[in-house]
Formats: sequence, C-alpha cells, structure tokens
Amino acid sequence: MAERRALVVGARDPGIAVAGALRERGWTATHLADDDLAWTDSTIDHLGHAPLDLVVHARYPAIARQRQAFIDLSAAHWAAAADEPLEAAIRLARAAHSRLAAVDGTMIFLVPLMASAGGEGFAAMATAAEGARLLAKSLAKTWGDDGIAVHAITLDPSAFLAADDAAGMAEANALHNAPLGHVPDLTTELTPIIDALTTNDFAGLTGASLVVDGGLWMPG
Amino acid sequence: MSPVPTPPLATVAGLLTGRVAVVTGAGQGVGEGIAASMAAAGAAVVIAARRAETGEPAADRIRANGGTAVFERCDVTNRADVDAAVAAAIAQFGRLDTMVHNAVSPPGPPRPIQEIDDETIALQIATSTTASFHCAQAAFPHLQADYGSLILLTSPAGIEGSGNLPLYGAVKGAQRGLLKSLAREWGPAGVRVNAIAPVAWTPAMDTATAANPTLEARLRGRTPLQRIGDPTDDIGPVAVFLASSLSRHMTGQTLAVDGGRYLGL
Repeated sequence: MAERRALVVGARDPGIAVAGALRERGWTATHLADDDLAWTDSTIDHLGHAPLDLVVHARYPAIARQRQAFIDLSAAHWAAAADEPLEAAIRLARAAHSRLAAVDGTMIFLVPLMASAGGEGFAAMATAAEGARLLAKSLAKTWGDDGIAVHAITLDPSAFLAADDAAGMAEANALHNAPLGHVPDLTTELTPIIDALTTNDFAGLTGASLVVDGGLWMPG
Repeated sequence: MSPVPTPPLATVAGLLTGRVAVVTGAGQGVGEGIAASMAAAGAAVVIAARRAETGEPAADRIRANGGTAVFERCDVTNRADVDAAVAAAIAQFGRLDTMVHNAVSPPGPPRPIQEIDDETIALQIATSTTASFHCAQAAFPHLQADYGSLILLTSPAGIEGSGNLPLYGAVKGAQRGLLKSLAREWGPAGVRVNAIAPVAWTPAMDTATAANPTLEARLRGRTPLQRIGDPTDDIGPVAVFLASSLSRHMTGQTLAVDGGRYLGL
C-alpha cells in the first residue's frame, strides 16, 4: 500500500489520540502540537509541500477548555479562546488546500458538542468550534471540484474537557446514558471512522456533519 | 417569472412601547430596516453606526416617521464604542431592553479560502465574533433588568455553509455557536438570545446584483416565495417579534427569514 500521509493539528486530545491511532493504522502521521498564539501559515510550512491525504483539525487551546461564565471573560480571554482558534482553523485550511488537492485528500474538523448544542461556561470554545464546523461545510462546497472532501465530526464533551467539566456539560445539556452504552473511544472507535472517510468507500460523501458520541445527542 | 402574491403587512405598532434598543450597523440595509421596524413598534432606538453620513440620516428618517431615535457613532470592533452606544441608550432613554448586533464587514467577492488574505480574515472575525462578544457583554447587565434579549444577525451561510463565501460562512456559523451557549447561560436570568438569518436587499446585495445581472433572477428562482426580502417590511418585524414578549418562550434559535430558500433546520 502506498504511503498515506496525515497531519493532525491540536496539542491535546482528541488530537493526541487520533494522531497515535492513525500511526497504529499504518499512516505516516505528523502531530502538530502547537497551541501558541503566534500560529501562522509558517507553522505548517516546515512540513514542506508534500501532499497530504488527510488533515485533522482538533486545535482548541487550553484557555478555550476552561469553564468560565461569559460575562466574566476578559477581552484577552475571548481573543485567545474564540477568535484566535477560529482564525487558526481558517489559516490551516488555507495552507492545507494545495497539499490536499494534490492527492484528492480529506480534511476533517473535530468539534465539541457545545458547538452545535451550546455549552454553559464554554461560549468562547463553542464559538470557535461552530465556526470550524461551518467552515467545513463551506470548504466542502468549494473544494469538491479540487477532489477534496471535507467533514466535521462532533464529539461528546469528554473528548475535549476535563472529566468534571464534561460531566457538568452532560448534566446541563441533558446528555444522559449514551444509547450505545458508552461514548466512543478516540483510538479504537473514532479513528477508524476518520480512516474510513479517506477511502473510496466514502467517495460520494462530503460536507457531512457527523455526530460520533454513542448516540448522546441526536440533532434534527 | 411573475411575482408571488404577498399579503399586506400586519402592524407592529405598540409591540415595543416603552422598550429601548441598540442596533449596530443601523445606518443602512438590514440594520436600518430593523431599527425602523422597532421604532414603528414603539421602541426608542439607538442607531449605532460607524459612519455619521449614514447613521444620522437613518435616525432622521425614523424621527420623520414619528419614531424615536438617536445616532451614536460606533465601530463594533472597539469595545469602548459599544459601551458608549449602550451608555447612550441609558442616558437618553433610561434603559436597554434589546441589543441587536447586525454590523458586519462586507464579505467581498466570491473567493475560495486559499485566496483570502490575512487582513480580510481578521476583519471578518473582528466584526462578527469579537463584536458579538462586545455587544453581548456590554448589554447583559441592562438586559437582565427586565426580560431583555440579544439578537444576532447571522446568515443562511452560517447554517448551511457557503461555497462562494467560505470565510463568511465560518464567522456567521461561529455566531450561532455563541448564541446557543449564551441562551443556556443567560436563560436563568430571563435573558433570551436568538438570531436571524436573512436574505434581503442590502447595499452589499445591490453591489452584487449590479456586478452580476443574473444573480437576482437566480436567487429568486431558488426561493419558494420568489423574492428577496425587504429590510424594513420583511426582516424588521421578525426582529420586533424576537424583541417582544410574543417570543418569550424562545431562546437559542435561529430564524431563517429568506423566503424559504433554506429549508434544512
């Protein structure tokens, strides 16, 4: 099998888990664990301009994962937790385009559930993440002609947040008892879905907003 | 294509009597339409606009029609300006019940994301998400006093994405992430947060249709009601509804006011 090259962006889970799991599945996966606020196109330029079969965006800095009432957020907190991550996602897409187009690649944005369901205390993260989810739809419409498929995958809060915060979010959003009995494991259940989305079996799919959470949340 | 019959507009008079609103980007287009409709409903309105040459005349037109309005110069990317607009509402009218964030940097011509420069990205984020942060934070202490509400102007592009304007789709989607979170956070305080996703005649739409003569016909052809909305008569009344107690059990919602073009919710 030809080498399959992936770039996973995001210093924390789910980025860490997905990068590791992709390697276990035979991918040459580069994990870009850069959450600093000086993120620019040059951050991935050091990878060179080799084609990428897969780019996974999961970059939500630590400050975005801190629970805090909106009214108490400082301007600096908002900038670092909402505006900058959204801008970084857009810049990543911009930089990734030519690398993906070279091999009809796939780009996937991993987003926390609060993006589309709302999250008390996580307004900044939800803002950045819903922006990323809609970016995925927009890119899918634009990049189809270039052979690139783009999707967003919504994950349950525990994929991004500390256990106590995830539990609080589940309570506030009435997310109780996943119908499948558990939320998906990032390594053994999420990553195979990501892997599958890059294959010809899914050649007819782009712009999808998948919810991979064991059935916790079933939007209309 | 013959026009689809449109029913006469019901009056909004009295729905917002005694209420006060700040509307950003109200010097023209959808913002002005919302401000005019809110004033017709009885609200006193602060026209918060970046340029006096559009903001002052918009306030004049409302007053000429018997409404109450003042102009306050406001660059929504500047927190001090937004605070000043809120302070103007308090100083002039004694309260603030509804904050409408409508202002946005024009998205510009259709371009794929890989052709969009840093400056455009920064400006779109600043006027959409940063400004939403400013407006929401500045208004909240007043909104919670008497069942107030925040209304964000998003777009169908923020629901379904946009191939022509991918950056616009992202920032307008981001606003919807914010509104749902604020709806959860502010509900216990009695403050509602909703959004409108309009398709209407605006200066940006005028420019786009002038540059592309087939655009209007194509838009109408994709719209069940076969026309493009009027800012005052089609979009404004929905903002009045969201600002009024008629919608008191609604929060966290996005209303697509687009003639039925988007049917995916």
